[in-house]
Amino acid sequence: MFKHLFKLSWNKRKQNFLFLSEILVSFMVIFAVFSLLTFYYLNYTLPKGFESERVWSIAYSRNVKINDNDSLRMYYENIRRTLKAVPEIEELSFSSSNFPYSNSHSTTGFTYKGKEMSPINNYSVEDDYNKVLGIKLLEGRWFNKEDLNQKSVVINQTLKQAMFGDEPAAGKIVGADKEEDKWKVIGVVADVKAEGDFWPAGKSFYKRLDTGSFKWVGDILLKVSPKADAAFESRLNKLLARMIQNSNTEIRHMEDTRESKNSDTIIPMIICITIAGFLIINVALGLFGVLWYNINQRRGEIGLRRAIGATGSSVSFQLVSESLMLATLSIIVGSFFALQFPLLNVFNVAASVYIIALLLSIAFIYLLVILCSLYPGKQAAAIRPAIALHEE
Amino acid sequence: MIRLQNIEKVYRTDTVETLAINGISLDIAKGEFLSIMGPSGCGKSTLLNIMGLLDEPSRGSIKIDDQDITRFSDQQLAKFRNQKLGFIFQSYHLINDLQVLDNVELPLLYRSGSAKERRELATEALAKVGLSNRLKHFPTQLSGGQRQRVAIARAIVGNPQIILADEPTGNLDSAMGNEIMDILINLNKNDGTTIVMVTHDENMAHKTHRLVRLFDGSQVQ
Repeated sequence: MFKHLFKLSWNKRKQNFLFLSEILVSFMVIFAVFSLLTFYYLNYTLPKGFESERVWSIAYSRNVKINDNDSLRMYYENIRRTLKAVPEIEELSFSSSNFPYSNSHSTTGFTYKGKEMSPINNYSVEDDYNKVLGIKLLEGRWFNKEDLNQKSVVINQTLKQAMFGDEPAAGKIVGADKEEDKWKVIGVVADVKAEGDFWPAGKSFYKRLDTGSFKWVGDILLKVSPKADAAFESRLNKLLARMIQNSNTEIRHMEDTRESKNSDTIIPMIICITIAGFLIINVALGLFGVLWYNINQRRGEIGLRRAIGATGSSVSFQLVSESLMLATLSIIVGSFFALQFPLLNVFNVAASVYIIALLLSIAFIYLLVILCSLYPGKQAAAIRPAIALHEE
Repeated sequence: MIRLQNIEKVYRTDTVETLAINGISLDIAKGEFLSIMGPSGCGKSTLLNIMGLLDEPSRGSIKIDDQDITRFSDQQLAKFRNQKLGFIFQSYHLINDLQVLDNVELPLLYRSGSAKERRELATEALAKVGLSNRLKHFPTQLSGGQRQRVAIARAIVGNPQIILADEPTGNLDSAMGNEIMDILINLNKNDGTTIVMVTHDENMAHKTHRLVRLFDGSQVQ
């Protein structure tokens, strides 16, 4: 029976072109949506890699008119001391502007044994940065005073895996070919999902801010105590205004920026799902209509099959099977295109994302086709052979 | 072979009741070739559909091969039709998207048996109707007479005891009609198949063993 149905479907492929096209288009749309959702979901299940709770960022404009490096350092060290003396502030670190959820990016490349890695997120941080964000150390150590005037870097787990695989990373020299561009890896930290909960950490490394960095650094990260409330924030604002004169300062809570960053992903995702949902409803109605039309066109054939020994349920089963067979033809074509994504590493996304999305799309399309063909199949089973045979 | 007792068929709509068959009783012996004649709308096809278990009578009983099929389930009826009955229709009812051989194999798909067996039986049936050279053709590539021969091959492929033919020569010219009639007569004579044929053609009807005439749903001869 399977061979018979396949032969029948194949011979009717021209008449079934609309059905095949509808399935193919919806399969590709579903594949795109599922790829996106799988990508987001898999990233969401990964640990955040740091603690954003009770972390505040202070952005300040660098309007201070001090040209001498030492004086500038003294000026900012004074600010650090003052802030650290505030009981509500537990930890503090100056940072480059590309701290987590900041919408600021700085990337570069590294070479190791002739193998080039790029892009790599480049974070400039201080010795207490890991304490402020609670970043977990996996290997080696974080920065300390020993690293003064040393070319030391801490890398994240993703970069370590990409460069060294399962080998230990601490002590390895990375960078460009020139001697002055060589850096020594002193530690490996957990991946930090800096772009929100739905995005991967990517390859990252941390460099220690040097004494000349205050010329361009414009952000301070604070870990505050649970007692830090709105009144404290107001007091802190006033304190900052007094300390950093002629500067605009802005305090932001990292949890708020995290929510905002996540919204940047969730809102387009919802729009995408809604549009795809409407498309699928249209496709489902289309499929239903095509199947209904086909059944009405095939009343004579259905009547004949009943006359020569088909039961009502076998007629219904045949129509559902034919729909699934046609869906299979479209899925085969669609899968050919879908498989190019992992094979060609499109968008630099892990192959597993596309494979999961492909399997989900196949399951979804089969489910959709079954749902759309069940009722027409039932109607076909109810066709009375005597009437159907008399009509032709 | 076929015993119809006091068969009535009433078609009902919301407002109208139409009596299509009015108390017909008929015995058809095994190996008999019976023709049914009558004007259009007299109930010939309805009677044939009832004999073929494609339609239920409103009243009366049907026995085929000594089995009372009145209380058969859908599944039992389907099996019975598949194994005991063969159908030939005026408009052939071939599936145009299937080759001749596949069309003839159709009834065998609803019983057990291998693809090879099905192929052999279908080829044999087509040989009986003289279409061995048209196995791979599609119905649209055949003449009307050839299509009807394919339909006959499909009807006999499962070796049924009874063939029910609804105006099998109705769409054919007299030469083609005679060819088809000869095939049916040979089937009846050589294989002992019981044949019930509805026809409008007196000449064809007179070639059968017995003629039953209907008028307004009742048997008049």
